[in-house]
Amino acid sequence: MSFNNQNIVVNKRRMYINYCSDKKPLENLEDQENLENQENQENQKNRPLKNKINIDGKEIEFLPGDTIMQAAERGGIAHKIPRYCYHPGLPIAGSCRMCNVEIEKASKLMTACSTPASNGMVVHTNTSKVQKACTGVMEFLLTNHPLDCPVCDQAGECELQEYNYEYGPGTSRFSETKRVFTNATTKRLSDKITLNMNRCINCERCIRFEETITKSYELVMLNRSWEKELTLSNYESDENDKDDEDKMPTKGLTSSYQGCLADICPVGALTFNDFRFQKRVWFLNRQPSICDACSKGCNIEVHFENDIIYRYTPIFNEKVNRHWMCDRGRISYHDVEDSGRITMPFMNTIDSHLHSVEWMTVLSYLKSTLAIAKKVLIILGTDSTCEEAKLFINRIPSLSKGEVKVCFYNGTGDVSSSKDDEKIDYLLQMKDQTANTKGLELLGIPPLETSYVPDSTDNTDSTDSDVVIYFRSGRAGVGGRGGLELKLKSSASLFLWGVFYKKELDKAALKQIVAIIPGLMTVEKSGTFINCDSLSQSFTSAITHKGAALPADVIFQIMILENRSAIRS
Amino acid sequence: MGEEVKRVKRIKAEGKVVMDYSILTKFIYEKDSHTIDFYREKSSGYKALSKVLTMNPETIIDEVKKSNLRGRGGAGFPTGIKWSLRSKDNRPKYLVCNGDEGEPGTFKDRLLLSRLPHNLIEGMIIAAYALSTHIGYVYLRGEFAKEYRVLEAAIKEAYAARFLGKDILGSSFSFDLYLYRGAGAYICGEETGLLNSLEGKSGRPRIKPPYPAQFGVFGMPTCVNNVETFAVVPWIIREGAEAFANIGTEKSGGSRLFSVSGHITHPGVYELPLTVTLRELIDKCGGVRDGKKLKAVIPGGASSAILTHQEIDVAMDFDSLVKAGTMAGSGAVIVLDETVCIVEAASIILKFFEHESCGQCSQCREGSHWLARIFHRIERGEGTTSDLNLIPEICSNMAGQTICAFADAVTGPALSAIKKFKKEFEEHVFLKGCPFKINNGPNPNGEKELSNVF
Repeated sequence: MSFNNQNIVVNKRRMYINYCSDKKPLENLEDQENLENQENQENQKNRPLKNKINIDGKEIEFLPGDTIMQAAERGGIAHKIPRYCYHPGLPIAGSCRMCNVEIEKASKLMTACSTPASNGMVVHTNTSKVQKACTGVMEFLLTNHPLDCPVCDQAGECELQEYNYEYGPGTSRFSETKRVFTNATTKRLSDKITLNMNRCINCERCIRFEETITKSYELVMLNRSWEKELTLSNYESDENDKDDEDKMPTKGLTSSYQGCLADICPVGALTFNDFRFQKRVWFLNRQPSICDACSKGCNIEVHFENDIIYRYTPIFNEKVNRHWMCDRGRISYHDVEDSGRITMPFMNTIDSHLHSVEWMTVLSYLKSTLAIAKKVLIILGTDSTCEEAKLFINRIPSLSKGEVKVCFYNGTGDVSSSKDDEKIDYLLQMKDQTANTKGLELLGIPPLETSYVPDSTDNTDSTDSDVVIYFRSGRAGVGGRGGLELKLKSSASLFLWGVFYKKELDKAALKQIVAIIPGLMTVEKSGTFINCDSLSQSFTSAITHKGAALPADVIFQIMILENRSAIRS
Repeated sequence: MGEEVKRVKRIKAEGKVVMDYSILTKFIYEKDSHTIDFYREKSSGYKALSKVLTMNPETIIDEVKKSNLRGRGGAGFPTGIKWSLRSKDNRPKYLVCNGDEGEPGTFKDRLLLSRLPHNLIEGMIIAAYALSTHIGYVYLRGEFAKEYRVLEAAIKEAYAARFLGKDILGSSFSFDLYLYRGAGAYICGEETGLLNSLEGKSGRPRIKPPYPAQFGVFGMPTCVNNVETFAVVPWIIREGAEAFANIGTEKSGGSRLFSVSGHITHPGVYELPLTVTLRELIDKCGGVRDGKKLKAVIPGGASSAILTHQEIDVAMDFDSLVKAGTMAGSGAVIVLDETVCIVEAASIILKFFEHESCGQCSQCREGSHWLARIFHRIERGEGTTSDLNLIPEICSNMAGQTICAFADAVTGPALSAIKKFKKEFEEHVFLKGCPFKINNGPNPNGEKELSNVF
């Protein structure tokens, strides 16, 4: 495989989701520029003087227009400055006042997120004055916070907890009654997001996210001062019960990126219903991976315990998804543990019923079928990895003496190749709901001829293969319209290989199927995907498969080894 | 100096007390003072404008600089310097008049708007010419219904007389003036909060820098001034900057409108030179009501620190009051006599601030709420000695660390009250109740009034 693209291996270093930044050290940026235009070395001398800022004794170069916080991000020391309202992916609000820093020659403390950096500035992030100010802010934020950490889902990844450990006052001097929003203690903003307004610290990241990233403007702050309350702006009151404020608005949040609201919320005010009360976050293991729900290939972190996935969260990647991820991808992990997923080898008997069989039975049957076949057709779902595609291209000819043809099939929506792929919203989601269409195309695999698809208008009879193998990882819709049915000649034997679900096996499909060979989902295997922007991304397996399914390379090894032993004997 | 500056004399008009000489208040209570005919005939209105249109904008700004005019809104920033900081690029520029007079105790702008709207309009046209601006907004406080109608009629008159609109008085200069009513938020008196509100957003102060002079309303260079500041500009142009500067002190020129209220014999709006001391001011207003003893004075609106009766020998100009540990603010002098419970007074002020904080910054949002609760608790007799130590600590955590000066406005009265009247606070704690109510017997309405407040 030769691609002119940078091969990005997802960084295994654990990164806190709210802390990754798009600000890179300037030295690296320069290196890239140097590589690009090496002849401009003379211009380098005429370059304007470097802007340097000193943060805690570290000299950091920054671009004009950067704030102190962004300069600290370039230097990799942004974690030294606490923050609530600041998020690298969102516009600056400067309202939480937590990111106080002391600047030499400045009379008072400044906020790092909103103060522009200037050349020669000397900044201290951990003086006693800064500590005192941060303690003050922590105390104010905690006055009306319910401190219900034992029942709060954010506990463990809560920034209020983290900074309170570092800066907070050990005890509270607040002896008044705490603010309680009786209507918004557990309020469903949509079927995905739950709001607990009592926990809110008014950083308004969620509002800025809706205003600038999704541009849906669905959240607003009602009232002012300490009575501020996060509310849906698209509240549609019912004429009959106007007084009933507890009633869920007829129209909740509608954006497809609601999970990000729970991600960026520094406290437990906004929680994602899918993950709510499922697991304490400190039990979770984290493994970077690639989301396979569309051709964008968002970088994700798989959070799991005992090989059970609890959620996906996005990892920052400037070239792909930045800080965000769509809800469809976020909940796509449910397919891994779908109760209808076939994880045992099955063979179809004469009575059109699937029967569970042993691995060796199905494999030796497959091998013998391949050995006598004259024409073999391999249909790769576009959700299979580049490595698997190469396995099929290389290994099947050694198992079959007949004519072997490999093609790919997408089958999601109206997409048949990457030419049909397009954005379906302004941010991330793509029309193609499989991860590797581009990769299979770049490997030189042709798309499946339309004459195989049952409801196509192409009636030319080219469906003369004896053996047909479908391979997919559970996303590509092999066959017509998401079903499994293909136009095949009646004597052809059809093998299903990979991830299939019981609900797909209707009677019409069963007539053709000879055997089902279970395979692995994306998170269970390693591989490489090439996303819609031709960016190649490799990943390793996040969890271990718990059923009887085997990786494709192992199956091929078994079949080929058996071949050799047969020769020996 | 001109003839307009005469000896200060007190007359009664329409039940309120005004000074009869002056820059602004000379004709303020005469009949039809709000009409354009009165303004042109009696107070030589719009003469400054015709003079200005032949001048170079730079000269006008220099003139205002020489007059030592300082912004009358509260911060006291020199107006001439503010105007000279204008952006010189080709972007559209805006002129905004801050008519959101919300500081408790202040009512001078309301008087100017309802009685002398043409002073403001002429001042704004002059400022617009000096700043080469073609669009102006008057941001009026939402509650000013009558003032809105008067100003609207005045703007119509000015348009009819060709002082506003295209090619003013035959020159090539055009200026349009629009009225905008707020929705009732104190914080919209802060200039960037006002600009956000003018844009149709919620009135929340912006981070500075960038300052409005570079990034104001709709992202364009904007100059924001108080009603009174604009209203005195025609006089400065007519009578000369020196005449104006001579009235005031070295650093702040001119006279100023003081809204005097509270336990005073003749409450009202007074125009006095800035050299006047607080004691003189109180005497000019007839002294404390009913011959009672003076206890404290709030010299610059509810957000300024309280002065005790021993501290009132302070000049009312911006710098002297800052030296005295308070501020000139909007010129609202609230006089408190000996019957006032300072804890109750501070509690009511803090209740106001608790409600009016915009809620952006953590310290201000939570701190104003916390302080208001503590003061209310002490007033009810449920305070503890630890509360008395807690209040200064909360204040020190709040002050100077927020986007706008609101947090400082909250801490001003709170901190000065507990510093200067600590005995009274201790009495509340030890007596487990308000000594004023206990000593004077039960006040039948007192508890009810408080429960309405809280």
